[in-house]
Amino acid sequence: MSEEKKKHKKRRTATQAAASIGPMVKEFIAGTIRAKEEARQKIAFTFIVCHHEEILAALDVLPLWTENFAGICGAIRDAERFLQRAESLGLSRSLCTYALCGIGFDQWREEIGEMPPNPPWGGQVKPDFMVSTGQILCDPRAKWYQASQLYMPDVPIYNIDMPYPLFDPKRDHRDVWGYYHKYIVKELRGFVKFVEEQTGNKMDYDRLTELVDLSDRTWNLIDETYKLRASVPSVMGTGDAMNTMVPMCFRMASQEAYDFFFNLKKELEEKIAKKEGEVEDEKYRLMWGGGLPSWFALGDFNYFNSKGAVFPVETTYRMVAPLNEMDLPETKDPIERLAWKWLGYWTFWYDKARKRPGSEPDVERLINWIEEYKIDGIVMHEAFSCRTWHVGLIWQLNQLAKIYKPIPVLTLGKGGEKTVENRELPSLILESDIIDISTYSEVDTRNRIDAFIETLESVRQSKAV
Amino acid sequence: MNDKNSIISSKVEKYYQDYGARAKELKAQGKTIIGWVCSFVPLEIITAAGCVPFRIRGDIREPITKGDNLLETIVCPFVRSCFDLSVKGRYDFLDGIVIPHACDSMTRSYSTWMYSLELPFSQFVNIPSVVKESSFEFFNEVLNTFRQTLGEFVGKAISDNDIAEAIKLHNENRDKAKALYEFKKSDPPVISGVELAKVLTVGSSLPITESNSLFDEVIEELKNRKESPRKKGPRIMIDGACLDNIELIKLIEDTGANVVADTLCNGTRDSLPHADVDRDPIDALAHRYLDKVNCPKTYIDNKELNLQKDLENRFGDIGYFAKEFKVDGSILYVYKYCDPFGFEVPARKAYYNSINIPHLYLEDEYTTGTIGQLKTRIQAFLEMIA
Repeated sequence: MSEEKKKHKKRRTATQAAASIGPMVKEFIAGTIRAKEEARQKIAFTFIVCHHEEILAALDVLPLWTENFAGICGAIRDAERFLQRAESLGLSRSLCTYALCGIGFDQWREEIGEMPPNPPWGGQVKPDFMVSTGQILCDPRAKWYQASQLYMPDVPIYNIDMPYPLFDPKRDHRDVWGYYHKYIVKELRGFVKFVEEQTGNKMDYDRLTELVDLSDRTWNLIDETYKLRASVPSVMGTGDAMNTMVPMCFRMASQEAYDFFFNLKKELEEKIAKKEGEVEDEKYRLMWGGGLPSWFALGDFNYFNSKGAVFPVETTYRMVAPLNEMDLPETKDPIERLAWKWLGYWTFWYDKARKRPGSEPDVERLINWIEEYKIDGIVMHEAFSCRTWHVGLIWQLNQLAKIYKPIPVLTLGKGGEKTVENRELPSLILESDIIDISTYSEVDTRNRIDAFIETLESVRQSKAV
Repeated sequence: MNDKNSIISSKVEKYYQDYGARAKELKAQGKTIIGWVCSFVPLEIITAAGCVPFRIRGDIREPITKGDNLLETIVCPFVRSCFDLSVKGRYDFLDGIVIPHACDSMTRSYSTWMYSLELPFSQFVNIPSVVKESSFEFFNEVLNTFRQTLGEFVGKAISDNDIAEAIKLHNENRDKAKALYEFKKSDPPVISGVELAKVLTVGSSLPITESNSLFDEVIEELKNRKESPRKKGPRIMIDGACLDNIELIKLIEDTGANVVADTLCNGTRDSLPHADVDRDPIDALAHRYLDKVNCPKTYIDNKELNLQKDLENRFGDIGYFAKEFKVDGSILYVYKYCDPFGFEVPARKAYYNSINIPHLYLEDEYTTGTIGQLKTRIQAFLEMIA
């Protein structure tokens, strides 16, 4: 074990719920290994946020979330050997490092016919099939399994195309979403057929309806739970949300996920009643405004906390939106519902964005949450290997500064009199990667955080009452 | 070859060096110019609207400056260069821009393009990622939306007939491009790689009728060319995405090899596939752009789970061109941060091995700063295959 790994300390969590996630993830991985050994359930490699969990669950397929496994390798600082193996195959280190880690691991396992030595948390088993979907988000999700298939040529792939209309300030997305819906429904029906063929199981549509209902209830519950975080002091930060994303993204369509958020909501309500904040002396309320975290450096959230900074909200992994605030057409067909929910989620901010000149959905969401969560500054992370979530962040901050200046500050006018001017929120973009630790410097990162905190403090002191 | 009567060394050279000069003139005459950045943009609809489709190029000699303030360094360096030039006003004659659902670097930066350039017309065309019957139905709808939106912008209903006529003109252009490629089959080739790259690049900056006339003039010149500008040498293919500058080709040809084939966006990927003329014109476009433009972004199903067949389905054009143009070796040239091509490198290498074509994989940035390193590696490769 390297010195780096030995020294690495676990992040402190604010909630008990977040602290319970580690064992849950370990159990996912252990569950896939057991299922493989016992050959009792088909295992599918797949990705989060595809609105297909209900279908997989209804057809009794065990999903193996390959981004999650790569994230674990990153979090325990054991991704490098798999990244290097992928590089040796001809894959550039500039590509998605989740994918590189996964391909490197799979190729190694297939080459030696068993798990690579000391596999993280038992390792990633060979799947029975793989479910890709690039959507209009992520090229690696479309290419990863195709690349892996070179080393597992007997494992079939189903690639679900799930587009959504991009924002157009001049056009109502509802003008076109009918044909998007029709296409996604066909894609999902094709997926059902594929999984039926792979598993030999027949879809029980009543069961699927129950699971879609359960997911809908869980979505609304998560939304209610996360809205509690607007309270002052902050009761749960982004560091914890990087744990609670696990049941949201990996266990949707399960009672376990619903119960998890039920308990988290209860825990947050109790904390609010007791005014028990994430930190003792809350000074700055920050939004994690974009970018996946460095899984190997979640301790940086504790560092922010040590400076009195809290993160009551984040755009990352907030992969649900309140269904009761979406104007979706009614249907009883569970597949059609999944497709509408997909479109409703991605277009959730479109109407609001169209109403504010110069706004755009991602910018609009920032503005809304700055107000709802009483935010003093924005932190983003640019992970060099991921274009999906990390392109457009600089522009979003520029556009936000252009159209939204929420901080009244006292300035000296020409004649020496004090005047109030409005200025934009301070922001910080950290630079590193999701799992490639070679790009990270703790000293540099913390120096940048210190400088940012100084800016926040100066704004705090000059804020007009 | 600096004959002043030569179309290649006069007209082509002029428009290559002063890229966009003709579009500027047309703009001054009242024409509507629509910029595009990728082979997936359905140019026929732009032509059918009476607009001039203009391919936005990058410039490897121009450092990224203004673009750095708006677009992350992790974006494909080619896209960043195109964006940087656009925000700096190099293409200030554009009335609009069309960005397709191609790679993440384009798709995820669409808002940045739209809001930063503030052009009167901006459109994202949502190309499907998979090839199925339902994808074509969806794509037809997307194309009809594009037709309607562009028609509203120019104040003209774009009819099926308009599109059918535009398809004919663009297909003519593809026939002429194919005729240009034919001049590369001889040994030494009648046209150099550098020359052809310039001709095709300039062609993509002109209205289609002018592009057709230019290609005709070049073809006529090549028919009468008495002596090849090249000597016999290793016959090289370049395999990759968008190569809109001559630097790499020049580098290869300066070492004595001849670039005789390619799979590039600014080459065969874009220039050769036809749209069918015997079907509904929108459907014909859907099939051309989804089924015939062979880009790694489009997922090709491997239903039979047959590895060699899968490689053949995905990369068969490489084998075809290698045979047609008697290629001795190929350079797989991929930009840093290019996910669609980057993830295919091991599979492309496997395909090259299966057809016994020596190959060199180069990952590069869009800059002249890497030319020295590239030269060393290319020289070593050419020595190896000699």
